[in-house]
Amino acid sequence: MNFKNILHEIEKNDPEVYEKLSGRRDVLKSFGSKVAVVALPVVLGSLFKKAYGKTTDVVVDSLNFMLELEYIEYTFYRTATNTGGLIPAKDLAGFKTIESHEKAHIQFFIDTIIAAGGTPFVPKHYSHPTTNAPYVPAAYDFTKGGAYAPFANYNHFLMLAQVFEDTGVRAYNEQSSIFWGSALYTQLQQITATEARHAAHARLIRRNLGAVEVPAPWVTNDIAPITDFLANYDGEQNTKQLDVEITALKGHKDDNIPRLSASAAFDEPLNKATVVSLMKPFILP
Amino acid sequence: MKIQNTPAEQPAEEMENGYDISRRHFFKLTGGIAGIGLFYASCKPPGAPTNIFLGSGDTALLNFIYILQQIEAAFYIQAVATPYYGMDHLELLAITDVRDQEIAHREYLKKLLGNDAVTNISADFSSVTFAERASVLSKAGELEDIVVSGISSAVNLFTNKVYSLALSKMVSVEARHSAYFKDMHTWNSFGDGVDAKGFDKAVPPRTALENMNAFSHTNYDASKLPN
Repeated sequence: MNFKNILHEIEKNDPEVYEKLSGRRDVLKSFGSKVAVVALPVVLGSLFKKAYGKTTDVVVDSLNFMLELEYIEYTFYRTATNTGGLIPAKDLAGFKTIESHEKAHIQFFIDTIIAAGGTPFVPKHYSHPTTNAPYVPAAYDFTKGGAYAPFANYNHFLMLAQVFEDTGVRAYNEQSSIFWGSALYTQLQQITATEARHAAHARLIRRNLGAVEVPAPWVTNDIAPITDFLANYDGEQNTKQLDVEITALKGHKDDNIPRLSASAAFDEPLNKATVVSLMKPFILP
Repeated sequence: MKIQNTPAEQPAEEMENGYDISRRHFFKLTGGIAGIGLFYASCKPPGAPTNIFLGSGDTALLNFIYILQQIEAAFYIQAVATPYYGMDHLELLAITDVRDQEIAHREYLKKLLGNDAVTNISADFSSVTFAERASVLSKAGELEDIVVSGISSAVNLFTNKVYSLALSKMVSVEARHSAYFKDMHTWNSFGDGVDAKGFDKAVPPRTALENMNAFSHTNYDASKLPN
């Protein structure tokens, strides 16, 4: 591990890192390779605490949690796009785009975690390295114990894609708050927006295919595709933002804002513990 | 383009506004011969507001988002009032829903701002053919992308973290809108604009405000807008 490289890596993801480290830029740069390697984690830990007001553990735990979600999504889509006959030809390009985004997100989180002095999460059953890295099909059970057949039934695949993406948006919405004030916060907004586009796309296909709840591309109320996923949407029905009741605001003409639109206009955060418990049935022990 | 009034014909109350006084100078000094920029400025409607001041700090950021939401809401109000040819029932439901979500955003920001809210912004949708499906869908995608890119950066600039976290809940919703309109225009194009790293766009607020002038020829004083 090279100290200069680490700072350089951090700088790539957070151009203001030197400034955040309270004007220690010259001191840091002057360290060069003379700092003993064993002392690095300690030095970096304390630097990160100063830079972000958080301990390295909090920062790395959060990044690793998001990395794990990306592994799940990437493996899910890669399996699907490589399963002949599952995805209709007209939809295949879209899911390959999504797959490539998730793969890039994995790399982003790995780089950022290493830059923060942490150890990137590795899924269980990860056989390292294969020609397909970071593809880890052995780590997951996307049938959720036999309840679904996402790689044989396109409707099941679309439903799980929607649920994973919507849940991911909520998870990132919550996690990003840890990084408020750093460049990573904006980057997480950008990643969240990308995931939201994926969610909208999966929802639109389901809408066009006549899914019974007629999903819009955005989350309406706390409506889940089926009751098994109610918990993934619980809280999305919120219509009160910063003490402003959105349904009490004046809408088009003389009507108030309709409740469904008031809830859809905001994606609600979901805490890590809940997301972990919701994803657990898809992860093999 | 035609110049409707000579300075002598201007009603007095309009002459009091700084913009019209400068126009009077323009005529006096140039006798009507001027560069394109000045000529263009002279053709703005009399009484057009000049340099809307956004305020400073968090207020400026809230006003920035309020302006974006005003223009979005105006776009969808028009799009629903004069539906494009061939709009089916599901499409009408979706675009009406988006309209109401953008009105919700607009009114929410206005409420947060209270007396600090900027005036109503007049939109200019002359680049949009509302009767034409492809035009509405592609312009809606453009509009939403400007908003996504601007709010993504803006939420990191508030001094009050509460505003950041509350308003960041709108970023992903605007991205959903964008994805929808892009897909409806060209199937599978929901992620156009996302880069090779899987990042959606983010630009500084002032850049987003400039980009938004594709839909509103408004002059802002954004000198105190965190950027």
